[in-house]
Amino acid sequence: MSKVKKGYVIPERFRPVLGAFMFFVLMMVIFIAAAPEVFLTVGIYTAIFLSLPLFAIMGLSLVFVTAAGEIDLAFPSIIPLAGLAFAWTLQQTNFNFALAALFCIAVGLACGLLNGYLVTKLGLSSLITTLGMNFALIGLTNVLNNGEVRTFSELNDSAVRSILVGSFGPIPAQMFWLAGIALVLGMLFHRHKFGLHVRVAGDNPEAGRAMGVNIERTKILCFVLVGVCAAIVGILGIYLNSTYFSTMGEGYLLPTLAAVFVGGTPVTGGKGTIGGLVIGAATVVFIQTGVVATGLDGYWTSLGFGVVIVLSLLGHRKFSGRLTR
Amino acid sequence: MSNQPIVKLVDVNKSYGNVYALEDINLDFYPGEIVSLVGDNGAGKSTLTKIISGTEAPDTNGKIMVDNQVVNNWSSAKARARGIETVYQNRALSEQQSIYDNVFLGREITNRFGIINRKKEIEETESLMRKIGYTSKVWTPLSSVNKLSGGERQGVAISRAILFDSRLVILDEPTTAMALTEAAEVLEFVRNLKKSGKSVIFISHNPWDAHAVADRFVILERGKIVFDGPKGSMSADDFIALLHKFAKKDIKS
Ligand SMILES: Nc1ncnc2c1ncn2[C@@H]1O[C@H](COP(=O)(O)OP(=O)(O)OP(=O)(O)O)[C@@H](O)[C@H]1O
Ligand SMILES: [Mg+2]
Repeated sequence: MSKVKKGYVIPERFRPVLGAFMFFVLMMVIFIAAAPEVFLTVGIYTAIFLSLPLFAIMGLSLVFVTAAGEIDLAFPSIIPLAGLAFAWTLQQTNFNFALAALFCIAVGLACGLLNGYLVTKLGLSSLITTLGMNFALIGLTNVLNNGEVRTFSELNDSAVRSILVGSFGPIPAQMFWLAGIALVLGMLFHRHKFGLHVRVAGDNPEAGRAMGVNIERTKILCFVLVGVCAAIVGILGIYLNSTYFSTMGEGYLLPTLAAVFVGGTPVTGGKGTIGGLVIGAATVVFIQTGVVATGLDGYWTSLGFGVVIVLSLLGHRKFSGRLTR
Repeated sequence: MSNQPIVKLVDVNKSYGNVYALEDINLDFYPGEIVSLVGDNGAGKSTLTKIISGTEAPDTNGKIMVDNQVVNNWSSAKARARGIETVYQNRALSEQQSIYDNVFLGREITNRFGIINRKKEIEETESLMRKIGYTSKVWTPLSSVNKLSGGERQGVAISRAILFDSRLVILDEPTTAMALTEAAEVLEFVRNLKKSGKSVIFISHNPWDAHAVADRFVILERGKIVFDGPKGSMSADDFIALLHKFAKKDIKS
């Protein structure tokens, strides 16, 4: 029998979030010290809040897939494909938002189902399958879209737009959507039995099966969630710019994955943190926006990412023991 | 032991291709009894437990009876529904999850939206851990399983059996590859299972462990039952001598 140590020990389940948070604060301090004239004004935060929700909503779904022991690299192409479904329906139906959103989400869902099916039922590697799907879906998007840029100046002052991406004082509406979605997915991941099954699927699927958990279905639903979140990101993106272009998914892949890992979700599966993801996404977007705002060349962003990812992984390892391997 | 058997096997055979894993097995398992099932490697012990727990079907001529009724299309789901629980050694637990998550895995206590009632699960896990004889004060139901010793892990898996109203718990080599104190802990868990009214089938290659917990011995050799009798006053040495006798016979034939 081992002895109990005296003193307060931070519960294990809070450590990844806390680690990610400490890292975020540290980064803020550095940014503020380096360029107080930029980082002590409201403007920079409004700029960050504009794009943060899109990365974070995408990343939330990736926490599920990663915790389930899989990976999804197809989402950067699901965004423009589902986005195309949305834009096209808007044009065809004279701006019937409900119908367009429904079709868009259906397309995202179908892409996720296909990925999930290929990975679980056919037993293919998710890394390679979704890499292939990433190419296939962007190809399909370009074939269908045929190079068109669809602008929707009509959207500029629609009611839907102000609900989706309007602003409440300095805070863009999409921040509230992020808060709502993060809350729901946080409950689902950390409190709902589905979340437990996801983590078990990534840790020891045999243990789950022996207890009657449907591991295949659980994993498929994770890929479906990615597809649906990609569709939501597509809709928000289109409203944000009042434009559809088939390259709208570019620039999501690496920052979103980085947000997952910087947030404290280990690549090895079996664990994950929704709170950490939100902080991780904030970290990533902060670097993206912050580096440029300080007047540094955009090239520095990548360097910043690299440093942050490696440092934060080291930090998580120190802080949470065998969390990351 | 008294009254009717929980499980009764009648003329059960099992062959894999032309290998007979089990031949003409007739066995009864009674309430509140620990049966130590022993025999050499490949004797058919695991196969026997798989048939009882519904993960393997016997050849067509034999019968499985539960509560004196013949069961058809026996499956692991049906076995579990009838109170027969198997503790698998390696595939039992999700190590990165907490003890209580593991105990309730697949049978979570939730509200109608599927949100887990953590408070209730944690409370019940705590009382289970006490019931089964956890001695370490370090672990709470919130501890993750990868911190536990091998013996304590078995304890988590075994405590599920108590929780889910099982009547017959099958443990296939629960002490294999364990240090002495760990194995002793598991034996204590097994005795506590019996105290809470469960029957146990205990498989082990360690004759002392098998002797220590048993009420009754069943010795299998090459798919056949060569001994089936109560422990009575048999000492560990007598039991080991008995095992040697059958092993020798086996070599001669
Ligand atoms: N799926 C299978 N296919 C073919 N043969 C099998 C299969 N499972 C078991 N056998 C054979 O049936 C016989 C009994 O195996 P079983 O696993 O029941 O033995 P055991 O008593 O549990 O042995 P051990 O002590 O080594 O675990 C062995 O000869 C084994 O090779
Ligand atoms: Mg065996």
